[in-house]
Amino acid sequence: MQWTTIFKKEMLEYARNYSWIWVPIVFIILAIMDPLTTYYLPKILDTVGGLPEGATFDIPQPPPAQALYMSLSEFSMFGVVIVVLITMGTIAGERQSGVAELVLVKPVGYFTYISSKWAAKLLLIWSSYIVGMLASWYYVNLLFGEIAFTTVVQVILFYGLWLTLVTTITIFFNTLVKTPLLVGFLSIAVMIAMSVVNSVFSHRLIWFPNNLSSYILQMMDTGTIPTDLWATALIIIGLIVVLLVAALFTFRTREMAN
Amino acid sequence: MAMINVEKLKKQFDDKDVVKGLSFSLAPGKCVALLGPNGAGKTTTLRLLSGLLKPSSGSIQFEGINQTADIRAHIGYLPQYPIFHEWMTGKEFLVYVGQLAKLSKTEASERADQLLEKVGIAEAKHRRTGKYSGGMKQRLGIAQAMIHKPALIMLDEPVSSLDPIGRREVLTLMEELKQDTTILFSTHILSDAEEISDDLLLMHQGQIVESGSIRELQNKYQTDKIHVAFQVKADTYLDKLQALPSITEAGRGRTGRNSVTSRRYWPGPCTNYAVSCG
Repeated sequence: MQWTTIFKKEMLEYARNYSWIWVPIVFIILAIMDPLTTYYLPKILDTVGGLPEGATFDIPQPPPAQALYMSLSEFSMFGVVIVVLITMGTIAGERQSGVAELVLVKPVGYFTYISSKWAAKLLLIWSSYIVGMLASWYYVNLLFGEIAFTTVVQVILFYGLWLTLVTTITIFFNTLVKTPLLVGFLSIAVMIAMSVVNSVFSHRLIWFPNNLSSYILQMMDTGTIPTDLWATALIIIGLIVVLLVAALFTFRTREMAN
Repeated sequence: MAMINVEKLKKQFDDKDVVKGLSFSLAPGKCVALLGPNGAGKTTTLRLLSGLLKPSSGSIQFEGINQTADIRAHIGYLPQYPIFHEWMTGKEFLVYVGQLAKLSKTEASERADQLLEKVGIAEAKHRRTGKYSGGMKQRLGIAQAMIHKPALIMLDEPVSSLDPIGRREVLTLMEELKQDTTILFSTHILSDAEEISDDLLLMHQGQIVESGSIRELQNKYQTDKIHVAFQVKADTYLDKLQALPSITEAGRGRTGRNSVTSRRYWPGPCTNYAVSCG
């Protein structure tokens, strides 16, 4: 009951602040940017000109899987930043402004409050991300060659876990501090730290969350789901659960009026 | 019978004791003012009672409610500066918090309409709260505190931030609400407390220094004293004043210290005289 009330309120808020329009647009742009520019690079160079007479370029066209993977790379860079930006104020902002005081003085369970906001953000992010990936798939099919629908669905489901993890990390910091900017900073810092850890210990931590996309690429190449991908996915799901529980505990110890 | 019993309630922030061992009880159906200067710990006390803060020690016991149960269902709270979602209309916000207080959507909607009527902002219910004036926000704040018919509503400085007209309107509104529910409100203005409250809790530096009904307190501390200021050298009138019927004591007070009643003579030009009547 209360859960859906908060969830619906979030949905209304996204409609009123046009999140339902701009977030999908940003994800579509991120997803199709790289495949399109790669395909049209020779033509762009031709049109712009300025090359010495007689210069020839032979730019190899990547295989379709590689082209689709470009979208994931963009999401790993800018998509993550967008996710953090739209999530960093969801609880911290309400606490900072003082609305949380009016909401949490009603008999609302803390977990209801956190989980409904988490779910609402995920709905927005997943919808935008799916739309973006479908757009990318459309162009990849058109320009680079066919990718099976089932493969795209698998890619979307597995990589979506990464965005879910990023959302959950940001939600966790939302319960820890109440300044949205600080939440954003901490979340990005954790993402950077994770990628540093991954590049230093990659031979040791084979199921580290950051390896997810390389296994996804492997899946597209081989056509089967590697065991490492399953294991990494399970670890990410485990982390998400742990972070949600941790968020609940930190939120309980916070004092709302503080 | 008391509705709330507060025992030795303490709250520390870092190393600072903000509330230093409060004990009091509230009787149902009363309107009680928590009166004290800024920084006395009034807001902290209300937040402790509303469950927004956790006491460092001490207990808050609501009559007939299990100690471990969620007290938030039985109280309404208005912060000093209520903040709403600016993109929501007043009605939407009330329905939202009503549903959070476990009313069904239709119940919440009906109740919201009633309350908007009662607090006098029915005509603005479809406007976004971001466009509300201070007085309207305060009234919407009172409405949201009342939405689930709580046994006790707590209002933190409900009139302090308002202009004289808004203040008058809100005081009148509280006068009406008093009929239906128990009210505990904080203020630093004595006249507001006198006007609408039955009982007073006087707070200073985190402690309750005095409590009781207004009449009791008046009887206890009231002295029949008149201060007379002269524009001329007044020493000559002292004897005449003293000789007046029913004057028990007349003496010279120092300028600015009106309460001093003294027979001592201070040389100098005219100043105030305090005259005590029997």
